[in-house]
Amino acid sequence: MDNKGWSLKGSLLLLLLLVSDLLLCQSVASLPICPSGAVNCQVSLRDLFDRAVILSHYIHNLSSEMFNEFDKRYAQGRGFITKAINSCHTSSLSTPEDKEQAQQIHHEDLLNLILRVLRSWNDPLYHLVTEVRGMQEAPDAILSRAIEIEEQNRRLLEGMEKIVGQVHPGIRENEVYSVWSGLPSLQMADEDTRLFAFYNLLHCLRRDSHKIDNYLKLLKCRIVYDSNC
Amino acid sequence: MKESVASRTVFILLLFLTTSLLNGQSPPGKPEILKCRSPEKETFTCWWKPGDDGGLPTNYTLTYHKEGETLTHECPDYITSGPNSCYFNKKHTSIWTMYIITINATNQMGSSSSDPRYVDVTYIVEPDPPVNLTLELKQPEDKKPYLWMKWYPPTLVDVRSGWLTLQYEIRLKPKKATEWETHFAGQQTQFKILSLYPGQKYLVQVRCKPDHGFWSEWSPESSIQIPNDVTMKDTIVWIFVAVLSAVICLIMVVAVALKGHSMVTCILPPVPGPKIKGFDTHLLEKGKSEELLSALGCQDFPPTSDCEDLLVEFLEVDDSEDQQLMPAHPKEHPGQERKPTPLDPDSDSGRGSCDSPSLLSKKCEEARADPSAFNTPKSVEKPENPQTNVTYTWGSRSTSSEGKIPYFAAGGFKSSTWPLPQPPSQHSPRSSYHNIADVCKLNMGTAGASATLLDKTDTRALRSSKTTETGGEEKAAEQREVESFHSKTDQDTPWLLPQEKTPLISVRPLDYVEIHKVNKDGALSLLPKQKENSGQAEKPSTPEASKEYAKVSRVMDNNILVLVQEPRAQNLASFEEPAKEAAPSHQQNQAEEDLASFTSAPSGCGLQRAGLDYLDPTCFMHSFQ
Repeated sequence: MDNKGWSLKGSLLLLLLLVSDLLLCQSVASLPICPSGAVNCQVSLRDLFDRAVILSHYIHNLSSEMFNEFDKRYAQGRGFITKAINSCHTSSLSTPEDKEQAQQIHHEDLLNLILRVLRSWNDPLYHLVTEVRGMQEAPDAILSRAIEIEEQNRRLLEGMEKIVGQVHPGIRENEVYSVWSGLPSLQMADEDTRLFAFYNLLHCLRRDSHKIDNYLKLLKCRIVYDSNC
Repeated sequence: MKESVASRTVFILLLFLTTSLLNGQSPPGKPEILKCRSPEKETFTCWWKPGDDGGLPTNYTLTYHKEGETLTHECPDYITSGPNSCYFNKKHTSIWTMYIITINATNQMGSSSSDPRYVDVTYIVEPDPPVNLTLELKQPEDKKPYLWMKWYPPTLVDVRSGWLTLQYEIRLKPKKATEWETHFAGQQTQFKILSLYPGQKYLVQVRCKPDHGFWSEWSPESSIQIPNDVTMKDTIVWIFVAVLSAVICLIMVVAVALKGHSMVTCILPPVPGPKIKGFDTHLLEKGKSEELLSALGCQDFPPTSDCEDLLVEFLEVDDSEDQQLMPAHPKEHPGQERKPTPLDPDSDSGRGSCDSPSLLSKKCEEARADPSAFNTPKSVEKPENPQTNVTYTWGSRSTSSEGKIPYFAAGGFKSSTWPLPQPPSQHSPRSSYHNIADVCKLNMGTAGASATLLDKTDTRALRSSKTTETGGEEKAAEQREVESFHSKTDQDTPWLLPQEKTPLISVRPLDYVEIHKVNKDGALSLLPKQKENSGQAEKPSTPEASKEYAKVSRVMDNNILVLVQEPRAQNLASFEEPAKEAAPSHQQNQAEEDLASFTSAPSGCGLQRAGLDYLDPTCFMHSFQ
């Protein structure tokens, strides 16, 4: 357990260091690196949150770009937006809809909520990559971003679990997440249906990544900076 | 029934249309939603553009429904954001939710609706500009001043809770500049500018952007004046330095003006001109050749020992294979350090004076290693082995030729002293003779002394040729040389006429007059002119008849030699009888005077020619005879 935890922590830290170079316009405080195997290496909560925020911000940027790219290339004039209403698989998760609601939720619940959303996206992201690869004329801009998002999402999940372990050590909730069942739609033969399935998936991904980013920033300011960012 | 209803509706519609057409009224045009914006991701506003109102007062309403709901709501606030707008307050705003908004325009005639607009507040965030931009010029000690600016986020945005994360950007420019200088400030609300132009007034603006939204507008301009960095104290110091340096410059200018010449001579010493012992250029200019030549110290002709020294120092004569002058004068050579380089045909052997175009003896090219050839030494300063050999040869020759080899013009020609440029094509022996001629011609010029010296050498050589005339081949060759020299002289040209014109000697074949002999008094005894191919052992036709000497007293008019009338020279009737000049007069001068006197011979000789003419000695031979 400890070995796995330390290795996860080390890999997460290394990943976060690498990712910090890729994020845009985000000043990152210099992060101390825990050499692998060091026993007393403890990354502070502040650093964990900083890295998580960097990741979430990055993921949302990628999602936004991917959606715009797809919309520009495939969804013009198809009226997909009219149909992409209330069609995200994570809508069942009761997430706060505005600032007041978000501030009223206890940070533990909010953390768990973030975890749930993150977990809900593991499967769809994996299939997204597979299916985009299978598209004829697979657009590299979309594919590369999909691959990147999938990877970063995994890292963020690990980081979040670290944070939860620090904030609420010992409490381990059951892995609850929303099940995604949109795979058949992605594999439809009908191009219009298939494209809409992609559009919808990317639309939902953009929204949920924004949610995660927003919640994490709220939590960071609340927990780390005592609501005084 | 249906038909009647249909027809009735049609009739009503037509009625409406006609009435509207008649009245100019129509239902409103289709409105259009321009944009929706949220300043802080908590509220948002939508603005629309009304369409044609159809001439009637038109009522606009905004209706919307949210994603996942079926209820249609109307705009809660038409006023707060101005006309044709709808303001959604916090209560009515949901994030991460799609709004489907529609504008309805209604007037008396009808209504129309806009296209539905799908709005998600998450992606329409555009904050207000930052507020309270303050500028301050901070001047730390011993450092350059810098501009420090501070601002605050827009009032509505909640940054403290982390709901929105803002990034800022500032820009500044001097007031008169056209381009803004933009800097990204990240999430900090202050900034330092270090590179500032002093004495300028700067304008600064700042704007912000939420983490996933649009840039705000630029804040109002703030200005600040940057003071000049040159303090009063510095100015005074610079003025003082300037005045001091001006004073120093003035002093230096005055010093240079007063003592400029001496300073210049100290720094740049003048180049020494050519100096010939006893030579006075002023006399030359005046035309007093007699005095000039007397000043040079050569009195008699043939040259005395003094002249020999001079000759040694300055002269340099070259010889070719043609020229063969037999050794003659024993007393001439001892002590003379001429070093002939006859075996060196290379004109670049260092005999610079010989090679310069201005040099008379351009024919300084050495003769072949012909022991029998009369090789004139090139230059005093070239003691080479060949020279030694030649010397030996000379010596041998001299012994064989029962005479001493006159060292012929061992002195090197200083090109500067010989302003006569000679075409190099001429044979060296002739050139040497020619040089003498030229030198004589230049007698009025600057090379009087050298010319005289050369003349002396020449005369010596000629003398030697004369003496060895009865010798063997060598002598004959020499004689031939002499003859060739003689023959080179133009028939109608006077020989060795000094010219006051250009020192340039034209490339004309020279004729040489064989000098029969020269006596102590400096009189040249000329042999009659011989044909060129007249053979080798020709004897002068009238060797004895030319034993007439005339002393040249002075030169007149640059081309007339004034001779001293002597009892022996009675045949030279046309000669003037000027008093003999002082002893130190140059030999050449006398010779030239002699010759000049020839020119004054009857014009029947056809001698008179301007410029570089030679006397035809045949005329004089006649006169002699």
